[in-house]
Amino acid sequence: MIRFLQISLLSFFLISCKSYQVENAVAKELSTTEYKNLYFSDSKTDYVYKATIEVYGNQLSGIFIAKRISDTTHRVVFTTDFGNTLLDFELSENDFKVNYIQEDLNRKIIVNTLRDDFRLLLRIDHPVQEIFENDESIIYKSADKKWFNYFFESKTDKRLTKIITASKSKEKIILGFESKSTIFAQNITIQHKNIKLKITLNQITN
Amino acid sequence: MNLTVFSQEQKMAASEITSFKATVEKEAKNIKSLKTDFVQYKHLDFLSKDIETSGKMYFKQPNLLNWQYTKPYQYSIVFKNNKVYINDQGKKSKVDANSKMFEKINKMIVGSVSGNMFDDKEFTIAYFKSKDAYIVKLTPKTATIKKYINQIDLHFPMRDTTVSEVKLTEPSGDFTRIIFKNKQLNAKIDDSIFTN
Repeated sequence: MIRFLQISLLSFFLISCKSYQVENAVAKELSTTEYKNLYFSDSKTDYVYKATIEVYGNQLSGIFIAKRISDTTHRVVFTTDFGNTLLDFELSENDFKVNYIQEDLNRKIIVNTLRDDFRLLLRIDHPVQEIFENDESIIYKSADKKWFNYFFESKTDKRLTKIITASKSKEKIILGFESKSTIFAQNITIQHKNIKLKITLNQITN
Repeated sequence: MNLTVFSQEQKMAASEITSFKATVEKEAKNIKSLKTDFVQYKHLDFLSKDIETSGKMYFKQPNLLNWQYTKPYQYSIVFKNNKVYINDQGKKSKVDANSKMFEKINKMIVGSVSGNMFDDKEFTIAYFKSKDAYIVKLTPKTATIKKYINQIDLHFPMRDTTVSEVKLTEPSGDFTRIIFKNKQLNAKIDDSIFTN
């Protein structure tokens, strides 16, 4: 019994400590030190999406709006379908300002989670430390504070299709992109692995 | 700031207010149902273009309401028996979260249609007229509402006793404008419209 427990604990230890690696990917020569996500880079475009936020079984619907307002800063607004503003943030890589947040949403965990998600979604320049590839994608690895972001660029059309945020050992957040060009994503999903949170964004065109 | 200078609006005289209110309230009593198309413009100062959504609204006395967006996406919200039913592009749910806000929206829509707006304890009301419409401006009295609404403007065209336009201004100055078109009073509306 003790032996069984030892084996179990040992294997648990080994499995949980296995460092995170992208499946079936092999290292490539470091041909660049920077990766650009251009999906929210145009300062002339109003990025407007129908948004659905599923959080622990509850569903919140509304409109997600983003605009690049300077070289470094994006403005992000989330409203209800009726137009009432629920949150209004300004954020860049290092700065963060809350212009408005509705009382019900004004919880530290909500604000910080959305701030980090939006920052990752909107940030353009990412330093690259390693490059990998698999059959479909070139994968750029970028250190971001205590975590790592992996940017998956399709080999066929050079578009960003996925970002995986991972700790040293496991995946935390997966962002998926469907796009018709390298500068605009029509459909975006942000799926959290450690909390039950999923954000879906579908482009609205008037 | 004196708004009348900019918008060609005049304050209504006390006698005008009395008769305007009486007319709206009297006509509202005859409203059994209302069906209308609407276009909604969300204005945010930093955007180059307002966000436009549109759809249909159905109301039936005493308190059935379906607010339905059809463009550019399908989303409808039904208020029935003090509950809120949502159909979000086929995904159905019943909402309790944020119900206070939905309750206020429901009250405002039904109130502006039925004329129950004028003795609202939560708003200070001012009456104006322009060349072609009466404009009722509601300013919230309570701190709770002041947090998300700065002012609500209701437009009543001169020859009409129901609202043709609602403008909801937020504390930031950004606003939502809703224009009602193709209004039909007391047309038959099947109850199945109010199931989501």
